[in-house]
Amino acid sequence: VVARTLIVVLAPIVLAIAVSMVVIALAGAPPVEAMDALLNGAFGGKVQLARTISFMLPLTLVALGWIVAFTARRVNVGLEGQIVMGGIAAAGVGLYLGPWPAPVHLAVGMLAAAAAGMLYGGIAAWLWASRHVNEIISTLLLNLIALEIVGWLVRGPMHEAGTTFPRSEPIAETVRWPFVIPHTSLSWAIVLAPVAVVVIWFVLRRTTFGMSLRITGANRRAAEYAGIDTTKVTVIALLVSAGMAGITGGALILGGETGRLSDGFSASLGFEGIVVALVARNNPWGVLPAALLFAVLESGSGLMETRVGVAAEVVLITQGIVILIVAGAGFLLDRPAMVGRAADA
Amino acid sequence: MGPFDAFWLATAVRLTAPLLFASTGELVSERSGILNVGLEGMMLSGAFFGFLTSYLTGSTVLGLLGGGLAGMSVAAVMAVLAINARADQVIVGIGLNILALGVTTFVFREVFAGPQVILERPGMVRIPLLADIPGIGSALFAQPLLVYLAFLNVPVVWFVLNKTSIGLAMRAAGEVPEAVDAAGSSAAGVRWFGTLTAGLLAGFGGAFLSLELGIFVEAMSSGKGFLALAAVIFGRWRPGGVLAACVLFGSADALQLRLQAESSVPVEVWVVLALVGPALVVVALSRRRRISAAGWVAAATGSAVFAALTVIQPDATLPNQLWRAMPFVVSLVALGGFAGRSRMPTALAVPYRRSSA
Repeated sequence: VVARTLIVVLAPIVLAIAVSMVVIALAGAPPVEAMDALLNGAFGGKVQLARTISFMLPLTLVALGWIVAFTARRVNVGLEGQIVMGGIAAAGVGLYLGPWPAPVHLAVGMLAAAAAGMLYGGIAAWLWASRHVNEIISTLLLNLIALEIVGWLVRGPMHEAGTTFPRSEPIAETVRWPFVIPHTSLSWAIVLAPVAVVVIWFVLRRTTFGMSLRITGANRRAAEYAGIDTTKVTVIALLVSAGMAGITGGALILGGETGRLSDGFSASLGFEGIVVALVARNNPWGVLPAALLFAVLESGSGLMETRVGVAAEVVLITQGIVILIVAGAGFLLDRPAMVGRAADA
Repeated sequence: MGPFDAFWLATAVRLTAPLLFASTGELVSERSGILNVGLEGMMLSGAFFGFLTSYLTGSTVLGLLGGGLAGMSVAAVMAVLAINARADQVIVGIGLNILALGVTTFVFREVFAGPQVILERPGMVRIPLLADIPGIGSALFAQPLLVYLAFLNVPVVWFVLNKTSIGLAMRAAGEVPEAVDAAGSSAAGVRWFGTLTAGLLAGFGGAFLSLELGIFVEAMSSGKGFLALAAVIFGRWRPGGVLAACVLFGSADALQLRLQAESSVPVEVWVVLALVGPALVVVALSRRRRISAAGWVAAATGSAVFAALTVIQPDATLPNQLWRAMPFVVSLVALGGFAGRSRMPTALAVPYRRSSA
């Protein structure tokens, strides 16, 4: 069983990398050298390694957020917008509140981020629960709104005086995560990744709430007969999911290298995290290795571009193919568990 | 008329066209039960490959066809995975969006490595007589050919969906796919048709973006696919509603562009905004739709605020992001406040397995 699972997980990745190498070769660059540059860019030195590891954090948190909602068979494609709102709240705390002692200020910032993500996701959860609005649709709309809001803030009220860059003033030092290795992008926020994996795994697998969540997702009607308030359980799942995205946004701003709010800081991580969850087959323990894989692609593609002249976007092709293979082939293998989602939207 | 002049009208019509292509395509696909989140990727593919074809052949018409074909190819991948492999439609759509962004950017950089390539823009087609109507004539009836096609597309889609047997089969596939198979047609086949139509039309919409400007920019669909998706929802899965939604979104976008040049928001804008709430209420009531308490509150506060602004006439500009976000907010409020039970196709986004019927 372990061997089969391993094949199921690794096959799409190997296949996608093979396809990408063909694409690279077609573009006239030596694929082996390109791979070498990619790995070098991801692991070649202290700075590179730190960047790769720090990429894992947002991917892990977002993937876990997706998994929580998906356990109730709800599709939270609004993670991107929830990241943005979390980041805005964290930056707000860093810019306008305090100065307080460092741990307090940081904690308030992270809590504000989580709350902002939850509130924003709460709109979709409320619309779903009491207005029967499909959550896929509302969260996609909320993403577009959130991106406009951050675009406005960093050009308007929060804009740093004297620059044309769409970015805020630097946030207070007391609100920022300390760095593991100075002069790299790796901050102590990274500890949130393994902690979150354990917490989410525990909640889903070892608590009554997790149990009712899984029953709700597996068979809504049966769950209701069993006396589970499926609406309440699902709303909580959506809120937790959105809260994870909010924390991601907070970590990106408060644990990031630049220490500012900027346009596009979410960088589609809200969608990439979904890919990570899929590759991990919605299993919390699989999230860390899957996140590492995508962090390597993300982190190494820059050097690949400068060294062999292959556009870094080839990484997007790899990602896209991984999703399609996992979505197509994965569902052939464990169909029964997946049938019947979204029927009750 | 302040900012609502002929120039605004012409821009609004032109910005509506690509949305209209994509969202009528999405409408057909959703009515047949396939939620196509990959619309953005299909538009982007249409924009790039339409541009590439036009560049290679020197023909705008071939460029348009190339764009449509590119959108359709992406849709074919969607169909294989979502219909035949019964994969999760949303996930496949996200994958296709990422893939399309990667492929178009990559090929664009490989092919057009040098200076910016600018193609000749398609000329305006003046419709005799109509274009001579004073005021609005030249704004509405001196547009590129594609704009007319985009609008003509709506009655065609309405006719096919509501008056033909294939349309009936499609609507059935979106509600009770089992019935389509029981009636001797193939639900899968009908859904394939719907998905490919969405790809073709989204490809046209994307090609419109690049060909009309004469340039291609990386990631140039820039959320228009998601906007078209919103238009289908806002239009309540009906061709007329989708048309209205696209016109609304296109007009808001044109207004936003127009207001960037103004030093303060003209009073006409406040008047129009104050009328949005009552208009939504009237539409909802005329369809005998229940309006929730939240809906009433939202409509009333909105109107009151804008009516107050009409009187005060503050000397202020509003950020263009607000204008851009307005259609999304209105969509959300309309969905939540005026929905009742939505008219969403029952089997939308639900994979269908024939043997289980």
